[in-house]
Amino acid sequence: MKGNIVNEKTVKLKIKRQDKPNSKIYWQEFKIPYKERLNVIACLQDIQRNPTTQLGESVNPVTWDCNCLEETCGSCTMLINGKVRQACTALIDSLEQPVILEPMSKFPVVRDLQVDRSRMFENLKKVKAWVEIDGTHDIGEGPIMSDKVRSQRYALSECMSCGCCLEACPQFSLTNNFLGAATFSQVRLFNLHPSGSMLKEERLDAVMGEGGITDCGNAQVCVEVCPKSIPLTESIADIGRQTTLQTLKNIFMK
Amino acid sequence: MDKKTTDQIHYLILKTHSLTGVIPVGAFLVLHFSINSLRTVGVWPYQISIDIINNLPFLIWIEAGFIIAPLMFHSLVGFYIYFSGRSNPFRYNYPHNWMYTLQRLSGAVVFAFLIYHLATTVVPKLWYGNTQFEAAPYLIYVMNQEFKSWDGRIIYAIGIVAATFHFSSGLWGFCISWGILIGRRAQTNAGYIFALFGLVLTVMGLSTVVEFSLHPVGVEATEPG
Repeated sequence: MKGNIVNEKTVKLKIKRQDKPNSKIYWQEFKIPYKERLNVIACLQDIQRNPTTQLGESVNPVTWDCNCLEETCGSCTMLINGKVRQACTALIDSLEQPVILEPMSKFPVVRDLQVDRSRMFENLKKVKAWVEIDGTHDIGEGPIMSDKVRSQRYALSECMSCGCCLEACPQFSLTNNFLGAATFSQVRLFNLHPSGSMLKEERLDAVMGEGGITDCGNAQVCVEVCPKSIPLTESIADIGRQTTLQTLKNIFMK
Repeated sequence: MDKKTTDQIHYLILKTHSLTGVIPVGAFLVLHFSINSLRTVGVWPYQISIDIINNLPFLIWIEAGFIIAPLMFHSLVGFYIYFSGRSNPFRYNYPHNWMYTLQRLSGAVVFAFLIYHLATTVVPKLWYGNTQFEAAPYLIYVMNQEFKSWDGRIIYAIGIVAATFHFSSGLWGFCISWGILIGRRAQTNAGYIFALFGLVLTVMGLSTVVEFSLHPVGVEATEPG
């Protein structure tokens, strides 16, 4: 048997599973052969090829979402060893084993690690997170944006709606209607745009209610977990300022 | 004025909660601690300040309108906020997340302490009526009793620390939620200033407790100056 050394190093994964929305939650453990520079997605693909638990039981393959595999789309967001992050950039070499995988807890589970994050999209619609350019006639070119504003907006535009900030937020829950850091940051992004600012009052109005800016508890976990390092707490404070000024305007200038 | 929607009412209630925390509730806390700490300078300055306050015109209205009502409002909305979030500092172990948790806990502790504090000071005062007592000797008598045992000293120390923490950390939160502090560095720097402010208030409060515990004073009727 000389020269035929079997690499017995393995990766242990413990996965929280759920067959369909609102069905029973159960846990399964998997053991897969170790390879160098594995990420969590590669492990899940390995399990998909051979869906057998550590105990040798043949099971349904684990379901998860992923797309870009370079931390740009946000779709593989899940809880890895208890903390929210993207599975594509979660490298096995830097994780404690068994690697515990759970779906995000603040969004409804579709199946296994796959969740429905459409609430984030609905929130973006609520605050009109776009620049309105449609009309009955050509409205021409927009005003020039300074380099300072442009770079400020670039940082905010990196948001990929992954939901990390919402998952980690103590004020955001499955049952309430809190808009959350990502949404407030998008309000700031579009209010900073010279043409986008035409909808400024409507956007501010949308965050000045139940689930709005007043419901932020300033725990600042959002900014800590944001994979794109977006200055979310600055956005929240800035929306705080914009809504304060809007309130004064509503009281004394209308 | 137009009829307000539930969203507008929600916004106004939470903004008012934030505002009442600073003015008048927080402002009263500073005033209260400042005046009480006169006790560390001497009995006479303490007595005369109590007498001035107790002889203010419309005192009952000032107390009801500027202390009790805003305090009750701030507490009630505070408990609503307390139960609207679920803190997770063990899972997401970051300093500000602990501050978030402590802010809520300290609010609840202060509320419990204030029930005790009012029950031992204001309630007997109202019970026995304004005619039968003189403010300064009565209060000094009550405080002597409170600080006789370690139970009282510890209860007051906890109440004071919880209140100063809640106020100084709350001031920081106020400055962020109203948009006064926006930049990350501005928030950090102001955080140090508010921490120092909280520390000063804590020292003021605790030194009063120490003074009462070490040197209880004989109760005498106040002589008008």
